[in-house]
Amino acid sequence: MNIIESHNLSKVYNPKTIPVNAVSGVDLSVEEGEFTALVGPSGSGKTTLLNLIGGLDYPTGGDVKIEGVDITQMSENKLIDFRLKNIGFVFQAYNLIPVLTAAENVEFVMLLQKTAKREREQRAIDLLTEVGLKDKIGKRPSELSGGQQQRVAVARALASKPRFILADEPTANLDSTSAENLLEIMAKLNKEDNMTFIFSTHDQRVIDKARRVVTLVDGKIISDTKK
Amino acid sequence: MLFKIAWRNIWRNRTRSLVVIASVAVGLFAGMFMIAFVGGLAKQEIESTIETQLSHIQFHNPLFIDDKEITDTIANAGQIISQLKTNADVKAVTGRLITMGMVSSSSSASGVEIHGINPADEKAITSIARDIVEGSYFTGLKKNEVLKNEVLIGKKLAEKLGIKLHNKIVLTFQSKAGELTAGSFRIVGIFRSRNSMFDQMTVFTRFDELASLTGTGTSIHEIAVMLKDDQKVEASTLAFKKEYPALLIQTWKELSPQMAELTSLFDKIMYVLIGIILLALMFGIINTMLMAVLERQREFGMLMAIGMNKPRVFLMILFESIMLTCAGIPAGILFTIGSVDYLARQGVDMSAFSQALSQFGFSNIVYPELQQSMFLPVTLMTTITAILAAIYPAIKALRFKPAEAIHKI
Repeated sequence: MNIIESHNLSKVYNPKTIPVNAVSGVDLSVEEGEFTALVGPSGSGKTTLLNLIGGLDYPTGGDVKIEGVDITQMSENKLIDFRLKNIGFVFQAYNLIPVLTAAENVEFVMLLQKTAKREREQRAIDLLTEVGLKDKIGKRPSELSGGQQQRVAVARALASKPRFILADEPTANLDSTSAENLLEIMAKLNKEDNMTFIFSTHDQRVIDKARRVVTLVDGKIISDTKK
Repeated sequence: MLFKIAWRNIWRNRTRSLVVIASVAVGLFAGMFMIAFVGGLAKQEIESTIETQLSHIQFHNPLFIDDKEITDTIANAGQIISQLKTNADVKAVTGRLITMGMVSSSSSASGVEIHGINPADEKAITSIARDIVEGSYFTGLKKNEVLKNEVLIGKKLAEKLGIKLHNKIVLTFQSKAGELTAGSFRIVGIFRSRNSMFDQMTVFTRFDELASLTGTGTSIHEIAVMLKDDQKVEASTLAFKKEYPALLIQTWKELSPQMAELTSLFDKIMYVLIGIILLALMFGIINTMLMAVLERQREFGMLMAIGMNKPRVFLMILFESIMLTCAGIPAGILFTIGSVDYLARQGVDMSAFSQALSQFGFSNIVYPELQQSMFLPVTLMTTITAILAAIYPAIKALRFKPAEAIHKI
């Protein structure tokens, strides 16, 4: 079953001055449980495509359907609510809330979902344990290494029980050991919980782990390989 | 958790936040001190006017007010004074004989208002006895000899006429019969009140001596009443008006409308000054919050990306602004209480401006007085300022596009 479907998806920046076709006519379907990597050189449109699929940006053409719902027609406010309920995000620069502890960062998304206090506290501990950070739950991001912060980000992405997780270059700022650890955690979540992951990446280790590799050049898909 | 995040966020840049908190505290202190200072000045001025000239309530023959004719006396004044002395709300009461006249020294002359008073009763009403700077308040005796025709004059008048203590002056005025009458008086006391105009325009003699010269007998032009509680002035005046409908009975506010106007003017000036202070404070907070928002663009992008809706983003910034301000409010209030408490005892010495202040009848020493009822409105106004200051930075944050903001460095 397709979770994500895009049809003739396009995004043009500066359409009235110097138009830049970041994404051009992309048709992409992602099934539940996939572990997909979007690869390509810098400027190929990986992040833009991820933003469009994640509802962080509006396309200039085409549509994106998440489980049959066209998110490109949603208002900004509805889209925020849709993201909260359906999509988990992992960003290249971790992007945790610096003034909250690891547990509070994970809890925060559940707080937005109005989950009961006891439930969200327990789930935060469970998720941090799952990503191997049980002993770091009271630490703030500044007290954690890059790899640990990214694992907190993965736990946060999982906290909202999303339909899929979008990760923009998740290993780009990590050393090789931290990157390996993170990939293993994500692969395990994919395998055991059937969680769908879509990455944009340059990292060969991520590409090697991926079961499907979609290659973009100049905003167009030039290859789509399933392993 | 929004409160928790907001509170922790304001301490991310400790120095910047402390500067804002300090400006809130100083701004609040400045505003409240201004209120206390102006309030103290106004209260002193009112008290001074009441004590020096007016008393709380005055009774007159309605005809006396316009022309101050010597014949326009109060009928049955002695009986009224006796009745007033038995009134439970009345602290002191006295009768005065008042006539317009001329004071002459050997070298010059000046127009004055001559008050014939009963020294003992007057002492309980006005501050003239306490304001004597040279000589004494109607000694009455010299070498066991009863002195007659004593007069008290103001320092300003003495300077103007070039006369000194114990000099003789001549008071010229109209008698009841319409004749021009004069009497020679010896200066036994020179007073200096807070109002130099009053000091220049008023002289005091004994009631009996003035009455014998004017031929008015026991007739009285003015009954001055001091109440035990100044909050009862309006109510007592109403009661007296019912009891003595033929007389003109006025409160100090009616007798000196310019004083009531001055108080109202002080209030207006005070609010304008507070408004200016809060406006300056608001721009300070806007600046800080705007910097905080722009610095955290990526964070706001992430918050919106993971599902934090716009009202929550707005609330978070609002909380930060309010907390930043509220952290400064207690400091400002405590500083104000401390300094006003100290200066209310020591007074603020304004003698550098004594001449100008004296011209307007103000004292050189101002004792600030802060009413506790002002704390709540000032705190509320400051909080409202913080809310208003948060609006623009919050709107700015709401305009961030998550996809762009996330990648801001």
